[in-house]
Amino acid sequence: MLGRLLFDRKIRDRLWQVAIGVGLTALVAFFVRNASENMVKAGIAAGFDFLWRNSGIDVPFVLTGYKSSDTLWALFWAGVANTLFVTVIAIVLASVLGFLIGLARLSTHWLLSSVAGAYVEFVRNIPLLFFVLFWYFGVIASLPQPNDSVGLFGAIFLNNRGLTIPYPLDGSGFRWAAAAIAASIMLMWAVVRWSTIRKLRTGADTPLLSIGIALCGVVPLLALFWAGRSTAWDMPLAGRFNLRGGTVLIPEFVALLMALVTYTAGFIAEIVRGGIAAVPSGQREAAAALGLRGGQILRFVVVPQAMRVIIPPMTSQYLNVLKNSSFGAVIAYPDVVSLFMGSALNNVGQAIEIIAMVLAVYLFFGLLVSALMNWFNTRMALVAQ
Amino acid sequence: MKLVSIVTGMIVGLAAADGPAVAQTLVPSPTLDAIKARGNLECGVHLGLPGFSFANDKGEWAGIDVDYCKALAAAVLGDATKVKFTPTSVQQRWPILQSGQVDLLSRNTTITFSRNASLGVNFQGINFYEGQTFIVRKSSKATTAKDLDGASICVAAGSTEEKNAADWFRERSLKVTITNFQKNDDAIAAYDAGRCDAYTAGVGALAGQRIKLKTPDDHLVMSDLISNDPQGPTTRYGDERWQGVVRWVLNGMIAAEALGVTSKNVDEMKANSKNSEVRRLLGAEGNFGQMLGLPNDWMYNAIKQVGNYGESYERTVGMESALKLQRGANQLWLKGGLLFTPPFQ
Repeated sequence: MLGRLLFDRKIRDRLWQVAIGVGLTALVAFFVRNASENMVKAGIAAGFDFLWRNSGIDVPFVLTGYKSSDTLWALFWAGVANTLFVTVIAIVLASVLGFLIGLARLSTHWLLSSVAGAYVEFVRNIPLLFFVLFWYFGVIASLPQPNDSVGLFGAIFLNNRGLTIPYPLDGSGFRWAAAAIAASIMLMWAVVRWSTIRKLRTGADTPLLSIGIALCGVVPLLALFWAGRSTAWDMPLAGRFNLRGGTVLIPEFVALLMALVTYTAGFIAEIVRGGIAAVPSGQREAAAALGLRGGQILRFVVVPQAMRVIIPPMTSQYLNVLKNSSFGAVIAYPDVVSLFMGSALNNVGQAIEIIAMVLAVYLFFGLLVSALMNWFNTRMALVAQ
Repeated sequence: MKLVSIVTGMIVGLAAADGPAVAQTLVPSPTLDAIKARGNLECGVHLGLPGFSFANDKGEWAGIDVDYCKALAAAVLGDATKVKFTPTSVQQRWPILQSGQVDLLSRNTTITFSRNASLGVNFQGINFYEGQTFIVRKSSKATTAKDLDGASICVAAGSTEEKNAADWFRERSLKVTITNFQKNDDAIAAYDAGRCDAYTAGVGALAGQRIKLKTPDDHLVMSDLISNDPQGPTTRYGDERWQGVVRWVLNGMIAAEALGVTSKNVDEMKANSKNSEVRRLLGAEGNFGQMLGLPNDWMYNAIKQVGNYGESYERTVGMESALKLQRGANQLWLKGGLLFTPPFQ
């Protein structure tokens, strides 16, 4: 009876899974226990109580409203916000730049395609650390000292401490403006859908361009203008050392962003080129034979099919941007690694807890990016069928 | 058979406890045993700070923290050159000490309550009374810390200076921007490149860092202090006998200066001195070295090969060095300073 059960393939496979599961759990439990016992023996504190301690660490670039009198938990989120901020902007800019370079490589224009090719080869064979340091010291060295700031309209100033812009003392107007802009974009989307349906049903064209300019151009500008008028401004003024007042975009951010964008764009360009090259030339020829114009061929025939090839490797590039943003620690960009694994870890000394938390941040947002891209991929695949 | 050996053991034990001539049974010291077995001392030092621990172009380490490790090696192994120096950054220092990769840290590390209480480390005395201040460009015309309102300040992330500076300016409602670098060297390089108006560290450390700047004469180390930062050799929890060795070699170097024992006169002092404390320190009387499990000439070797505290100070950070620091608080208590040692009795 037992013998027959063991020879049943389904049951045997299940047993193996259970055994491996138990083994893994035991291994993890062993390591956790071992670490905590050794830490107690060595007199090192354990647990997450330290998160409610006062941080006392000053952060030069804050999005969450963190102050140095807040807790270490607040410091952690300030770091996470900075990491996500630079990652999101770098992903958007790197995609745009990478797409352009990828298209340039495919161009029949000799100069354009060879410049793009040289760029890709250069970028792909240089370590990222070099980019980060190059941009940082390049940015700092090329910008003027605070007393020789480059000013624009007497309100925006650029120097080696960063880009200083006026700061609204009352942000409520801008929140309303943001809501208005979001509403008009959603309205635009609805109009586009409605016009497609109308075109299919009646064949009539809708003046989408002028509606678009009104909804996505004029409305946001008016909203921002109104918001700007409704508040007093904290203007940057020359101080003893730096400009006083206003808010500052620090050079570390710019350097890290430029490094991530220029580096990742090289990889994205190759992915885009590969994706477009993978669409058989018969598809273009067939589209041309149907009478579609160049732009229409690209939009309706080539890109949708290329996307299916592009999206999976693109996902791993986006994940790389997230992970590579930790290079900011090298140039004092206050990301989660620099703030939490650098400053906080040294004050608290609880390496296991702190590193586990930072690990969880990257894991969570990494999986989130993967999930979003997978969803997008399924959508694109269905559309193409 | 078993009984006989137990009884013999008891008798031997009793005899040992009884007679002062017989070496006492020592508490086991795994660290000391490991050092003797491998034949060198593993000492964690600063990545590179002139005057404290700095490797020259031949790879030879020098500085007041380095000197202490050399003296410790001389006391334990009889040879001041048997030290392996491990450069550690601000962030690396604790894991490297906690995990046992080094026998001790001797690297400009401020003694604080929370480090002692929650990092599993003990501080074995003070070899440098440091105080935090700022270095600025002379062209900024700032001369005291209060003048720094509105300035950008570069610091090393995770240092005591990072928190001290943030607290100090917050308490006075002065607004500064603090930029936190991973290494002291990165922070000072950014200051030198014009990214910050000031760099903050201890007076002694700044005197050392200033030498590394492009044009040292353009910079001013402020004289007012915003904190006190006592520094000294650091060990991990456990192995009390080893902790004692670390503590008493430092005390021995200070005592030697107070007693007038130098590397030049140590032979003569050992042979002719009538002062009992000198004789006990140098192993001419009693068996102080053996009590810790060391050779009896432990401090003789340390002073002969490295020198007393004062000699080390003058050579590394004092008037004979490029840093030219006054003794200040790091003067003996006999001469109005803070440096003190319990008696060798």
